[in-house]
Amino acid sequence: MAGFFATYGNLIVLMVLGAMLGLSLYLPLMTGQLSLASPGFYALGGYIAAILSTKVFITNSSLFPIPLLLLEMLIAGAVCGLLGILVGIPALRLRGIYLAIATIAFVEVLRVISLNLDITGGAVGIFGIPQPFQTAIEYLWIAVPLLIISMFFLYRLERIRVGRAFAAIREDELAADAMGINPTYYKVLAFTLGAILAGIVGAISAHFLNTWNARQGTFDASIIYLTFVLIGGSKTFLGPVLGGMVFTALPEMLRAIADPEITGLQLPTAIAQFLQDGRLIIFGLLIVIGTIFFPQGLVTPDLFKRRRVRNNK
Amino acid sequence: MDITLFLQQFLNGLSIGSAYAIFALGYTLIFSILGIINFAHGAIFTLGAYFTYALIGGAFGFSGLLANAALPVQLPFALALILGSTLAGFVGVAVERFAFRPLRRKGSDSLLTVVSSLGVAVVIVNVIQYLVGAESYTFPANIYGNLPASFNFGTVEKPVPIRSIQVVIFCVSVTILTILTYLINRTKYGKAMQAVAEDSTTASLLGINSDRFIVWTFFISSFIAGLAGSLVGSSVSIRPTFGIEFGLKGLAVIVLGGLGSIPGAVLGGFVIGLVEAFVPADYSGYKDAVAFGILFMMLLIRPQGLLGRRFVQKV
Repeated sequence: MAGFFATYGNLIVLMVLGAMLGLSLYLPLMTGQLSLASPGFYALGGYIAAILSTKVFITNSSLFPIPLLLLEMLIAGAVCGLLGILVGIPALRLRGIYLAIATIAFVEVLRVISLNLDITGGAVGIFGIPQPFQTAIEYLWIAVPLLIISMFFLYRLERIRVGRAFAAIREDELAADAMGINPTYYKVLAFTLGAILAGIVGAISAHFLNTWNARQGTFDASIIYLTFVLIGGSKTFLGPVLGGMVFTALPEMLRAIADPEITGLQLPTAIAQFLQDGRLIIFGLLIVIGTIFFPQGLVTPDLFKRRRVRNNK
Repeated sequence: MDITLFLQQFLNGLSIGSAYAIFALGYTLIFSILGIINFAHGAIFTLGAYFTYALIGGAFGFSGLLANAALPVQLPFALALILGSTLAGFVGVAVERFAFRPLRRKGSDSLLTVVSSLGVAVVIVNVIQYLVGAESYTFPANIYGNLPASFNFGTVEKPVPIRSIQVVIFCVSVTILTILTYLINRTKYGKAMQAVAEDSTTASLLGINSDRFIVWTFFISSFIAGLAGSLVGSSVSIRPTFGIEFGLKGLAVIVLGGLGSIPGAVLGGFVIGLVEAFVPADYSGYKDAVAFGILFMMLLIRPQGLLGRRFVQKV
């Protein structure tokens, strides 16, 4: 078991972080708004943690104190939340593809700014971000509770007034407006919650990856998070969690399949090489196939409902 | 800023602006007919550039499946350009057939089609990278034959040199724009396409084969994307991702001009090209943010764009 964690510790932490990034994109989608802004807030949260831990909270101890890490997460969440409100209020007047494009523009502007500022280290980025833990797997002490809290939060959210309002806006914004729900308020709320979560995850990731640069918040990242949500399932919070975990692990899984030492299978060299180097081709094909054959995603609310209906009969 | 420098920046802006314009036209054609943004457009732009590079006999590097491969033929640039763009056009048709039509048949949400096109973009970019590696390739300098390296648009005392590639880009783009405007406004094909764009159900009731016009639209838009990719690629250098970056700028162009508006795409292209050309050299790092800043502001102030139609949502 120790050997397993030593080998796959990194990957397990990334899977948990991936699940949360999926959730951060899922939140605005709960109100039917396709926002691709998560990577921007993720990058911003990471920069906040990286700058604070390398320039402000300088400690002599070999391990970075965990309370300071929690403080950084708090600050990152707060700053991203504020920026989320500031960007959200004007941007969420837009719908559908217009909103998606506006958020792409937001991510790109943030990326170019971080490439050019001195404080963010320019194109090189920030190096040597201090580690709060001895090994990678110990990051689970922070990441797993955060994931559980977010999942519980979303579980409750989907069942209270606010979540019902989100769903009403997703199904028909005009009808929701006519029923006395203020669509702008709830859309900005959902967008801001997603921004806060992405910022907090960014703060953890900056420590976890040890280095942070402008390649963290890009258009490519937007596509990958979107895949988490849409293939995982966009109608229940379990979809993005599962999608985030599976799709983060997928490249490693393909690499493992191609490795005869792990599976014992001796695949033809061409196929083994394709599984290793062509991972992203498979990723892209899965997106296309998924949208055509599983438009609701793999995890749908019906999965849980169907059993109940059968019992009634 | 003195007048020669101004003139030089202005002409360079016009040249890159014309490339933005024809590239954005491809987005616009597909948007006006299907109501979706085709994110694979940028990838097809890249693909066109690689096809043209391969057809003029360019060699590929040391990584990727086709390491050190080169075609036995070396076509002249003009021929390679047309052939490469045609190949890009066929890829566009295949994309429509396998990634768009199944979704259209099922009547899926348009956002799903957008996601599917993103998937196609990921596939194309990574297939290129898998086959010929991620390094950048530069077109040979002699592709324009006897043309001088640059044209002088000023006087002998005050020269305003413009690279001939920029002049070629501008001329080809303006030609394409003229042909397309004629095609759309003056021919039966264009009228039918406009009818399909307006309402595809009614168009098919009137005896127009919607699917056939959608396929043609994809071919034309991908052909132009391939052409723009080859021309822009020959003026800088080509990498598997260079089309995606260009494609994101194209988004700024069409939103600025107004989604679905053809004159809007042209106007937006020139505006973005000129604004970028006049970013001061000291702030050149921020050049890429300018287009997105304009895009963001435009969406907030006037989401329908400069020349777009305003849509009122009805119950």
